[in-house]
Amino acid sequence: MVRQVVPFLAAFGLLFGWVSATPAQERTPNDPRLFTPGKLTVGTGDPVFPPWMLNDDPAGGEGFENGLVYALAEEMGFDREDVVWVRQSFEETIAPGPKPYDFAIQQISVTEARSEVVTFSSVYYQPDKAVVALPDSPVVGASSFAELRQARWGATVGTTDLDYLENILGITNVAVYDDQAGTFQALQGGLIDATVVALPTALFVTAVQVPEAKITALLPPDENDRGHGLLFEKDNPLVEWVNEALAAVIERGVVEELANTYLRGDLDIPEITE
Amino acid sequence: MRVEGDLDPRSPTDWSSGMGDPPPPAKKVLTVSERLIPFAISLTSVVVVFGGLALLITRSEQWPRVQLQFFNGRAMLEAFPTVLRGFWTNLAVWGVALCCIALWALVLAVFRSLNGPWFAPLRLFTVIYIDLFRGLPALLLVLLFGFGIPALQIPGLPRSSLFWGGMAMVLSYAAYAAEVYRSGMEAVHDGQRAAAKALGLSQWQTLRYAIVPQAVRNVLPALLNLAVALQKDVALLSVVGVRDAVREAQIYTARTFNYSSLVTAALLFLVTTIPLARFTDSIARRDRERRLQRTP
Repeated sequence: MVRQVVPFLAAFGLLFGWVSATPAQERTPNDPRLFTPGKLTVGTGDPVFPPWMLNDDPAGGEGFENGLVYALAEEMGFDREDVVWVRQSFEETIAPGPKPYDFAIQQISVTEARSEVVTFSSVYYQPDKAVVALPDSPVVGASSFAELRQARWGATVGTTDLDYLENILGITNVAVYDDQAGTFQALQGGLIDATVVALPTALFVTAVQVPEAKITALLPPDENDRGHGLLFEKDNPLVEWVNEALAAVIERGVVEELANTYLRGDLDIPEITE
Repeated sequence: MRVEGDLDPRSPTDWSSGMGDPPPPAKKVLTVSERLIPFAISLTSVVVVFGGLALLITRSEQWPRVQLQFFNGRAMLEAFPTVLRGFWTNLAVWGVALCCIALWALVLAVFRSLNGPWFAPLRLFTVIYIDLFRGLPALLLVLLFGFGIPALQIPGLPRSSLFWGGMAMVLSYAAYAAEVYRSGMEAVHDGQRAAAKALGLSQWQTLRYAIVPQAVRNVLPALLNLAVALQKDVALLSVVGVRDAVREAQIYTARTFNYSSLVTAALLFLVTTIPLARFTDSIARRDRERRLQRTP
C-alpha cells in the first residue's frame, strides 16, 4: 500500500513545487527565462559610438543607451553589478540563430521587415536626421531635395541613413561604407560631399571627431523608420516584462533626461522638408 | 582506348614499310556485372552521403528559421535586381583589371628575366615590387589606395575610390601573375635560349619570339586560375564604397535581416566562375594532349 502511494506523493510534490516556483520566479532577477538567471545580459556594438555610449565602455554607464539599460535594470530589480555586457558587431547581432544575451541595444531601428526574423521592444527613441558636410561642400546652403540630389552622398551599411537617402531623398548612387569611421573618412578625403546621420551622432561627430565638418541641415522623419528599439531573439518571452519596465522608465522621464544630457545641442540649423 | 593508340609514338607508316600493319590489341569485353557493380556502388554511396546530409540538415530544429532567413524565394527575387546591378560592376572591374594585370605582370616578369648589368635597377625594382605587393593583404592595399590616395587630393590624379581600389587590385594581383609568368619562362628549356642565340637573335628577340610565347602557353591554366580568384576578390572594393554584388546583398540583409540576398549573390558568382573553371580545365587538357603528341 505504502509503495503504491509514494510515487503519487512524489509526483504531486514535484508538480506542486513546479507550479508554485514558476510564477514566483518569473519577472524577478532569478527568472529562469533569462539568458543567465540572476544576470541581465545585454548585447551591444563593438565598438560602441558616442554619444550613445561614451568612451567605448558600456559598463562605465556614461552615455544615452547604457544609461537607459542601467535604468531598465534597476526597474526590473537587478543590481548594477548584475548587468553583463556582450560585445558584438552589427552583423553578428542580426545573424540568425540563438543570441548570447537577453536583448541588444545598438541604435537598431524597428522596421516591418526586420520584425519577421527578430522581436523588438517598444521604441525608446526616435532621432531626427541631419546632413553632415565639410564647409566647402555643394550641399551647404541647399534649400530643397532637388539641390541635395546634386551632391555625391555616402552612408554606412546597415543603417537607416542609407534607406533615408534612397527612399526619401531619392538618391540612387549612394556610396556605402563598412562603418561610420569609413563614411567620415570618405567625407574628409573628399570622396563624398555629404552624409546623413542621426542628429545625436551628427552633433558628436562635428563636435569631437571631425571638427571641420558641420551640420548643414535637418531633415524630416521617415515614416517607415519607427525609431530605435531593443532587439530580442525571435519570440523571446522576456519582451513583455522588458516593455513594461521600459514604459515605466519612459514614464518617469528618465529617457527624456538622458536625451537632454547626451543627445541634445544648441542648434540653429535650417530644416529642409521637400 | 583510342587515346592510347594516339599516344603510340611509332606511327603506322614506320611499321607498314617492312612488316605490314601490326595486329590491333584485343578489345577487353566487360561482363554486365563488371559494368553494373561499380555503377551501383557509386550510386548508393552518393545517395547515402548526400541524402544523409540533407536529412540531417532539414531535420534540425532550426531548419525552418534558417530556410526563412537564407533560402527565402521571395527575398531572393526581391534582392535580385539590385544584386545583379552590383554584379555588373563586379564584371566590369574584373574585365578591366584582368587586361591590366595580364600586361603589367608580363612587363614585370620580363624585367626580372633580363640579364646584363644595365638592367640591375629594373631587376631590383621587380624583386622589391613583388615582395611588397605579394606580402601585403589585398584588403589592406584596397583600403590604403581607396581612402589614402584620393585624400591627398593631388591635382591631375583621379579621385574616385573605384579607380584607386581597382588599381590596388591590379598591383596586388600583378605581383602573383608576374611570378606565374616567371615560372613559365624558367620552365622553357635552356636549349631554346641556346638555339635562339645560335640563330643570332638578340636578347629581346629571344624573349619575344622564343621564350614568352612558350612561357604563356605553359602557364595559361595557372593564369586562368588567378582570373577566377580575382573575380571573387573584386568584392573587396566594397570597403571603399563601391557597390558591388556582395555589398548590394549586404545592404539588403542589413535592411531586412534576411540573408537570402547573399545566396542570390553567391548564385551569380557561381554562374560565372563555374564555366570559367571548366574552360580552364579544358585548356589544361588540350595543352597536355598537345604536349604528349609532340614527344618524339
